Amino acid sequence: MRERPSPSRTRARLLCAAAVLAAAAVLALTAARSTGTASVAAPAADAAGAADQATGREVFLRDCAWCHGTDGSGTHNGPSLTDVGAEAADFYLRTGRMPLDSPDQDVRRGPPAYDDATISALVSYVGSLDNGPGIPALAAGDAVSGRTLFLENCAACHSASGTGAIVSGGQPAPDLWHTQKRQVAEAMRVGPGPMPPFSEKQLDQQDVDDIVAYVHQLGSSQDVGGAGLDQYGPIIEGAVALFVLLPCLLVVIRLLGRRAPERSKGEEQQ
Amino acid sequence: MAGILLSLLPRPRPMRKLDERLGVAGTGRSVLAKIFPDHWSFMMGEIALYSFVFLVASGIYLALFFEPSSAMTVYDGHYRPMQGQEVSAAYASSIRLSWDVRGGLLLRQAHHWAAHLFIGSIVLHLCRIFLTGSFRRPRELNWTIGVTMLILAIFNAFAGYSLPDDLLSGTGLRIFSAITQSIPVVGSWLSFLIFDGEFPGREIIQRLYLLHVLVVPAVLAILISAHLAILIRQKHTHFPGPGRRDSNVVGSRMWPSYALRSLSLLAAVCAAVLLAGGLLQINPVWAWGDFDPATITAPSVADWYILWIEGALRLFPPVEFRVFGLEVPNQFWPGVVLPALVFGTLYLWPWLDRRWTGDRAPHHLTGSPRESPLRVALASAMLTFMAVLLVAGSEELIVQWTGWTVAAIRDVLRVLVFVLPIAAGLVGWWVAESLRLSDVGHAVELGRHELVAGLRRRREA
Amino acid sequence: MSRPDRAPRSVVLAFLLSALGAAGFAASYVLDLGNEALGGCLGAAFAFLALGLARWSSLIEGHEPDYVEERAVGPTPKPQYDAFRRALTEQPVPRSGVLWGALGTAVAAIGGAALFPLRSLLPSMGTDPDDVLMRTPWQAGTRLVTEEGEPIRPDDLEVGGAVTAFPEGLDPREHVDTTTMLIRVDPAVLRLPAGRQDWVVAGVVAYSKLCTHAGCPVGLYTDSSRELMCPCHHSVFDVTDGARPVEGPAPHPLPQLPLGSDESGYLVARGDFSGPVGPGWGNH
Repeated sequence: MRERPSPSRTRARLLCAAAVLAAAAVLALTAARSTGTASVAAPAADAAGAADQATGREVFLRDCAWCHGTDGSGTHNGPSLTDVGAEAADFYLRTGRMPLDSPDQDVRRGPPAYDDATISALVSYVGSLDNGPGIPALAAGDAVSGRTLFLENCAACHSASGTGAIVSGGQPAPDLWHTQKRQVAEAMRVGPGPMPPFSEKQLDQQDVDDIVAYVHQLGSSQDVGGAGLDQYGPIIEGAVALFVLLPCLLVVIRLLGRRAPERSKGEEQQ
Repeated sequence: MAGILLSLLPRPRPMRKLDERLGVAGTGRSVLAKIFPDHWSFMMGEIALYSFVFLVASGIYLALFFEPSSAMTVYDGHYRPMQGQEVSAAYASSIRLSWDVRGGLLLRQAHHWAAHLFIGSIVLHLCRIFLTGSFRRPRELNWTIGVTMLILAIFNAFAGYSLPDDLLSGTGLRIFSAITQSIPVVGSWLSFLIFDGEFPGREIIQRLYLLHVLVVPAVLAILISAHLAILIRQKHTHFPGPGRRDSNVVGSRMWPSYALRSLSLLAAVCAAVLLAGGLLQINPVWAWGDFDPATITAPSVADWYILWIEGALRLFPPVEFRVFGLEVPNQFWPGVVLPALVFGTLYLWPWLDRRWTGDRAPHHLTGSPRESPLRVALASAMLTFMAVLLVAGSEELIVQWTGWTVAAIRDVLRVLVFVLPIAAGLVGWWVAESLRLSDVGHAVELGRHELVAGLRRRREA
Repeated sequence: MSRPDRAPRSVVLAFLLSALGAAGFAASYVLDLGNEALGGCLGAAFAFLALGLARWSSLIEGHEPDYVEERAVGPTPKPQYDAFRRALTEQPVPRSGVLWGALGTAVAAIGGAALFPLRSLLPSMGTDPDDVLMRTPWQAGTRLVTEEGEPIRPDDLEVGGAVTAFPEGLDPREHVDTTTMLIRVDPAVLRLPAGRQDWVVAGVVAYSKLCTHAGCPVGLYTDSSRELMCPCHHSVFDVTDGARPVEGPAPHPLPQLPLGSDESGYLVARGDFSGPVGPGWGNH
């Protein structure tokens, strides 16, 4: 009869280890995906009248005129800003998409480059260049109608859960969980980068408000059912099942089933 | 204390009454004395068995609340963004099950996690049987039953995943219909018969429901019984060791020690899926939205046991040609031919192995994987092939992590899908051969000397 | 058999903790504490049950030897097997080929007849799937409408904008094959195949939304590169070039819908798509 180590103590210890391992793996999986998305925290101040256009012009000449021209009419490096309005300026600056370090850089979301007052000043200056659309005034929307409109118009790229995905060429359709309400509304009209713009005829202001209301509650704490695994769907769920859940049970059977004795060379050749 | 434990053991009196009527004590005694070999890898199949038990139990609860119908109905529960919305009864009842039935979400999520565990443990079990040569004579029949159960498990998981009629599962059915209609000559008819006309039809939820809750589980239950009956008749295989021969089986007795361990595993499986179901969201169908054939969500992919087919669909080049004037659609090769080859090879493996090795003798003493470098090589190659396909099915996540383009990743994967399995097969062969020729007990103990010896041996061969 | 006194206490403790977990589950249910509490408590109850059983078994195991059982399975001994063969053939079974052939015919006929009711799975008699897949209900003069049923003018879309359109008067969910992607681009960038130059109204082009690979809705429009992508298998189509597939597994272009406008300026179809929509099929 073989020697058996006292299995009960080791079993309990290894079970605990398995539990800790499981928790750590889930956290790591979720965290790994979250690092890709920078949070955009810009308090939406009313920028309309108060800001100082002169300050805005100063910053514009320093940081933006390289590509957009000293009068905002554009150069071969960047498009004209004379008809985009305060709406687009507010969107691009508050989501950190502008300014770029060089004109051939990808336009991606990030933390805003300026403080709130500077952004307001710049927005006010760009808004003064023409009669383009102003910053949209948001009204309370209806998430029920917003849900249908979101699924029809937005889910294909941003994912039904708002977790974000990719479009052609591998460009990101960013997640909508870290976006301020006003920027969501602005993006629909502006159509930044790869995103198609939506006209007033396609989505009127009420529709936009409804979509904003639905987007606002996506991925929120009102959700049920435990840690969301980024609501990314089967890929991450499957990874958790195969690399966390199944290994945990392998640890369990490793402890429950005793090991066969070591084989010796002599027997093998029998 | 010991008294309390003893008092929990069954009392003899009801046994006596049962035996007076059925005379089963003799059989009972031999059942209690059945020997289970002591090796942890023999319990992989038990994980699958207990996952099935949990799936049936939780599935019965879910069926009490789920409505398998595509008729439109108004949702009026707690999930705010859907209040007053007209959706299919299947979707509405799935949302109700998740948001309004107390405990419903726990069982729904645990059911889904258990399905992952069920198929995952079947695959592991299959790998063990394959690598140790336990499919050899006289166990060919049980091998084919096992492969059949794997296919049924995958099908039933797909059917269950499709029932809630959400945007993600509807897209999965769409791809299923495209694959079905790609079969030469009969494809369009087959697809129309399954879906009641052109996709999406009106009947598919009801039809899948019948298969999911009745037909497939019943067939699985019958096959599990046959699998176990054959196992009991033939007895377990066991690893070589002192006193272990082809003509005997050495291990623990069913009662009491093995039964307690096995029950402990049952409880552990329940614990794992319930903890996961409580703490980790899975398939949040309210977030996916209801199925509308004109809309889509991204990423639109399937669970891992189907995802390898999706990966193959993504990697397959955009070719299409005609044979005898009939189109052979692009999706036919990765969608029909590839799974047919994979499962066909699995079915035929005991006979292919026999042809390759010339080994027709019955075996009860199983080999260590190293004894057949061919099998190690094939298993490594196959698992690597599947892993590359799963990575292809997860392209979007890699794009988001690395910032590379889809096209670049696809081009790399189109090469890797051939290169990596071959490389993994060669490495598997090498390691197995080195182990076979050396004294070391474990692959991690292999030193330079053993590896060189393994390589030299291969060259000679 | 001697049982150490400390160990069973831990088994009992595990079972009691398991019962406590079950009680916690009941309490969570009554107090409606949410999914995490329900799953955590019931999971813990099972986990402690597993722990207790495992410990209990390990206590017993410590006193058990390796049991050995002889394997009796094998072919039946020859005399018994011969007896079985005799029982099988004792009563003379007629060797007549005609008899067996007739029986085989009957069984095969019943099996074949049983296949006929399967046809009822597709109730509409006279539907040839190949005809259905070949065509869509789009006809010359049918207005394009949004999912909400509103007709569309070209100017409703901004340049770079896209919308999903359906034929007026038909339920979009019943006629999935009609689903159309309308995209407005700068007419100067269009390089449509020959003969399709007048299928465009003010830069608005219309393509089937069903991917020619596996039929998923090609819903991802990228304005910057004027490409449509399918999220299922990542096929990409060039909108300016007749929706030619430029990347991924899709083998042919998305069929195009010829567009015109009616007297009120609304977009109408001028016929069916340029080819069968969606994935290829085996009888095509």
